[in-house]
Amino acid sequence: MVIYREEYRLYNFGPDHPFSPVRLEMLTSLLQALGVWRAPLSPPEASREEVLWVHSERLVRRVEAASRGELSPDLEHYGLGTGDTPVFPGMDRAARVLVGGTLEGARRILAGERRVLQLGGGLHHAQYDRASGFCVYNDLSVAIRHMTRAGLRVAYVDIDVHHGDGVQWIHYEEGEVLTLSLHESGRYLFPGTGHVYEIGRGAGLGKKLNLPLEPFTEDESYLEVFQALVPWALKAFRPDVLVVQAGADAHYLDPLADLLLTTRAYERLFRLLLEYAEAYAGGRVLFTLGGGYSLDAAVRVWALLYHVFHGLPLPERLPEGWLSTWEARLGKPLTPTLHDPEGAYPEIPRREEIAKRNRLTLQRLTELVAPHLLH
Amino acid sequence: MLVRDVMKGPVLTVGPEVTLEDAYGLLLEKGIRHLPVVAEGRLVGIITDRDIRLATSHLNPKGPCPGCTRVEEVMTREVVTAHPLDPVEEAARVMRERKIGCLPVLEDGALVGIVTGIDLLDALLRLTGVTEPSGRLEVRLPDRVGELARLTGFLAGRGVNIHSLLSYPEEGEFVRAVVRVNTLETHPLAEALRREGFDVLWPPKKPW
Ligand SMILES: [Zn+2]
Repeated sequence: MVIYREEYRLYNFGPDHPFSPVRLEMLTSLLQALGVWRAPLSPPEASREEVLWVHSERLVRRVEAASRGELSPDLEHYGLGTGDTPVFPGMDRAARVLVGGTLEGARRILAGERRVLQLGGGLHHAQYDRASGFCVYNDLSVAIRHMTRAGLRVAYVDIDVHHGDGVQWIHYEEGEVLTLSLHESGRYLFPGTGHVYEIGRGAGLGKKLNLPLEPFTEDESYLEVFQALVPWALKAFRPDVLVVQAGADAHYLDPLADLLLTTRAYERLFRLLLEYAEAYAGGRVLFTLGGGYSLDAAVRVWALLYHVFHGLPLPERLPEGWLSTWEARLGKPLTPTLHDPEGAYPEIPRREEIAKRNRLTLQRLTELVAPHLLH
Repeated sequence: MLVRDVMKGPVLTVGPEVTLEDAYGLLLEKGIRHLPVVAEGRLVGIITDRDIRLATSHLNPKGPCPGCTRVEEVMTREVVTAHPLDPVEEAARVMRERKIGCLPVLEDGALVGIVTGIDLLDALLRLTGVTEPSGRLEVRLPDRVGELARLTGFLAGRGVNIHSLLSYPEEGEFVRAVVRVNTLETHPLAEALRREGFDVLWPPKKPW
């Protein structure tokens, strides 16, 4: 089941902002041009009350006021009105529409649906008391909270290139939520967190896992540590459902980060995640989108996700009409095939050293959490 | 950042006549490693868990200190101290050079606090300030007047808030500045800095 509504595109920080609604427009038009688009389920927007499951009243009040054009002087303290997360008219509702989509996904899973793809959301930086990094409200945590309240154990897997800090901190002390984030090391990249030693507290101890990767990590090393870590953690945790934040910004074309994944790694990741859902979570999985700031790359990565999710054969070339329309509109050429061309970026001389350091990080992480996770 | 901002107080002390056994018990119970020794309101020495173990151990090459039973027989008498208004880096330097693990802090002759290696590590963490969501920039600046101001001015002009800024001298008339800023968009920021003529070392320029 796919969840989407046009109003997701209201979440718009302006024409020069990287978190652009154009990505959704390109994606849905591509799926239509490929002839695979089926009418999605249109979700209701989340209520104020639902947002308050994971956010503070005072943050919500500031977002509401900013939405009406009232700017309180302490906005920046709440992560709003910054260069990254500026305020815009109607921001509160736009954010609640995205939350509503992911929450609807959680409701559908509780009602017996097994696979849900929410074509939006994934706002993993939003924290209890603060908007951050393009994220106003945390749709993932609202959905996770809805499912844990219904008694489910939730495993959250975050493949966005940035650390899923908001989701981690919101559920940091919860034993029924496993969070697992693979990201470029915070030593070099926003938000600066996601070290191996952030492993949860109280009931959550050993259930918050972070694998910070070296800049310039490529497909092979990424897949190696992913396949070593994720099934191991899921097997130990025994979740009822997977929630996946499928950010596309670990792609080599992404302008904000330094991991070097190609579409081939993403295809493999999506197939593996579906397999893991079958093997360890009763087949239940809720995908959201996330970061992804190269229009060219993000749209192809998420088109891949859509195809793999539905078990559709992958097209090789993208439709000519779609390409020419968007090339004209964006004023630049686009990759004409679904997958990246071979040898698309220069060879990385430190490849072996990078792979070795990632293996070492994985080892440190598993040693740290094993005593708490395996019981 | 000054010693008074990182020191701990009030300080647990012992008198010179206290037995080694009691002093050791106190160290274990409180989970600390240093005890200033105070007599008649004045600092007269300092004793550490290591001093006590050495004095009482058969593994000591000189054998256990014969008849040593009280703190005053084992304590270090020449105590190196700090003042609350000393900069933390000065405290760190003294501890490193003298190879000692703590400094009692004296003000007008009175013991008002203690600063340990752990407190200095905490200070370092606060100075590097990675507690707020932030991205990292590393820039090599010519070592001359106004360069850092040019960098921070440029960031301010782009509405970028600086969470922390560390700089240190590099060989060959350069200064390295490591800046944590409140933005995900460090790559576009780096590009803009390069266009202004800055030598940005991180994030790197991608060749594609
Ligand atoms: Zn991201």
